[in-house]
Amino acid sequence: MDYKAPIEAYTGVVREVIIGKGNKSLKIGGENILPLHFFDQGSNPNPVKFALEVLDMKPEDWPEHAVEPFKDVISEPVSWAKKCQSFGVDAVSLFLMSTDPAVKDTPADKAAELTKKVAGAINVPLIVYGSGDEKKDVEVLSKVAEVCNGMNLLIGPVLKENYEAVGKAILEHGHTAIAQSPLDINLLKELNVKLSKIFPPDRIVIDPLSSALGYGMEYSFSLIERVKQIGIITKDSMTMMPIIGNLGGECWKTKQAKENKKQGLLWEGMTALSLLLAGANILVLRHPDTLKLIKETIEAR
Amino acid sequence: MVIIGENIHVIAKAVSVAIRERDAKVIQDLAKAQTETGADYIDLNVGPMKKDPEENMRWLVSTVQEVTDLPLSIDTMNPIAMEAGLKACRKRPLLNSASGKTDSKEHMLPLAKKYNCDVVISVMTDKGMPPDVDSKIESIMDTVTHANELGIANEDIWVDPIILPVSTAGEGQRFAATNLEFIKILEDVLPGVKSTVGLSNVSNGVPEELRPLLNRTYLIMLGRNGLYSAIADPLDKELMSLTKGGMPKITELIYKTMDKEDIDLSSLSQKEVEYVKTAKVLMGETLYSDAWLES
Repeated sequence: MDYKAPIEAYTGVVREVIIGKGNKSLKIGGENILPLHFFDQGSNPNPVKFALEVLDMKPEDWPEHAVEPFKDVISEPVSWAKKCQSFGVDAVSLFLMSTDPAVKDTPADKAAELTKKVAGAINVPLIVYGSGDEKKDVEVLSKVAEVCNGMNLLIGPVLKENYEAVGKAILEHGHTAIAQSPLDINLLKELNVKLSKIFPPDRIVIDPLSSALGYGMEYSFSLIERVKQIGIITKDSMTMMPIIGNLGGECWKTKQAKENKKQGLLWEGMTALSLLLAGANILVLRHPDTLKLIKETIEAR
Repeated sequence: MVIIGENIHVIAKAVSVAIRERDAKVIQDLAKAQTETGADYIDLNVGPMKKDPEENMRWLVSTVQEVTDLPLSIDTMNPIAMEAGLKACRKRPLLNSASGKTDSKEHMLPLAKKYNCDVVISVMTDKGMPPDVDSKIESIMDTVTHANELGIANEDIWVDPIILPVSTAGEGQRFAATNLEFIKILEDVLPGVKSTVGLSNVSNGVPEELRPLLNRTYLIMLGRNGLYSAIADPLDKELMSLTKGGMPKITELIYKTMDKEDIDLSSLSQKEVEYVKTAKVLMGETLYSDAWLES
């Protein structure tokens, strides 16, 4: 008797989210199959995308081998962002670390001006992360949204504590939101439900928090996997959003990555590959060599 | 559905202070209120009762018995307090609770035989909480067999599958569904045994104002699957009305949801919609979040 492999067809579809404008735009999500289940009925029209990090200040705790590829531009975010493009990124992710009151407390308008310059200098879409300080981010991200009006940046983190104010600014000025919750599927859904009341769900990207290999990565893996299953198999509207894996910073914080370059690349690479297998739609990396490594792996070179 | 009133509970500060200061009125008011709203038993949950267990328990039991004729459920993990409580009861009490743990088998279960009372036996063992239906059944069969050997009949045993909060990330909803299944097959596995649950635990960690809806819905679902009794809040009028068949339309909607029938939500009142959504969460059909009624 011939064996016929079963083919699954699911009813859920991850929303296709567009970031950026015009010829600078990028689509993520849109799949109606589980990650890499190409044997099932359906498709993933937008394979995983990659961004590299740019900081708004000279990084203080990066090991030399992480600084090395950008050492000539490390204090100039605009040039740094331009240089990222030479490594074949799909997007650039600007981190406004210096706005954190515990770091430099850079004022919101200064951060917004810088963001606008960076966005204007590159020909790929821009992702912008605030410092994560829930109060300061209201000022900073609202100002960024306003100053960069109409550029459709991907802006976050939008948190349970500030989603109303930040969400409103992101919406008013035509951007897309990153909804971030602390590694918990119930809280993730709750935030999406609440945000969706004031914000179109097809402009939300989920950041479930990405932990590094050896530092809780399996939690991120299981969570991403579950979000995809619940969205695609059970068609839960509030989990059918694409996922961003912001993992560079987490990986390069580890002792292992700091020790030497090869270990660092493998640490970041293994984390990235794992989250990609779990179903992440866009990954934010730190080291261009990791990006190269991952692309070679995907293309089985 | 036999309702064991949960309101005399040491976690409530007023109760623990009243016991310590021998303030009979606080305790008696709670006992009277639960009696009036239709409870079948009054639970006396005193925790481990480390200090003066005999004296405290004797006072508590006699204080409650002054104002109610209902039988009592003596709820403590301290065998000394337990024995003092059982001894002081006028009516056949409920020993709440024993388990498959060695310590409990040696010190609690024999008390049920000695005082010829009903006994709650949970699925817990020395290995902890059995994680799925099969292991729960296996554990409880072992412990019930042990109880039978001590001379305790199945009819006197109230099995407790242990309810956990549905809001626990990842696992909570699986536990809720597991217990529905467990209650459904219990009668086939252990003919004659009764069952009970600590109902309110299902909504632990959920915003306070939303808790009763989860408790009520889950009780109806468990009841349909054959649950005999629940430790619950008899002061919740809607819960009591539901258990006594006073809200047939809601009950029917919950049953239909359990049967995965198509329900047209637009034809229902807001309250009915809330019950349907809640039942879906408890079955594991929709992912839980604190905003489950809003999506």
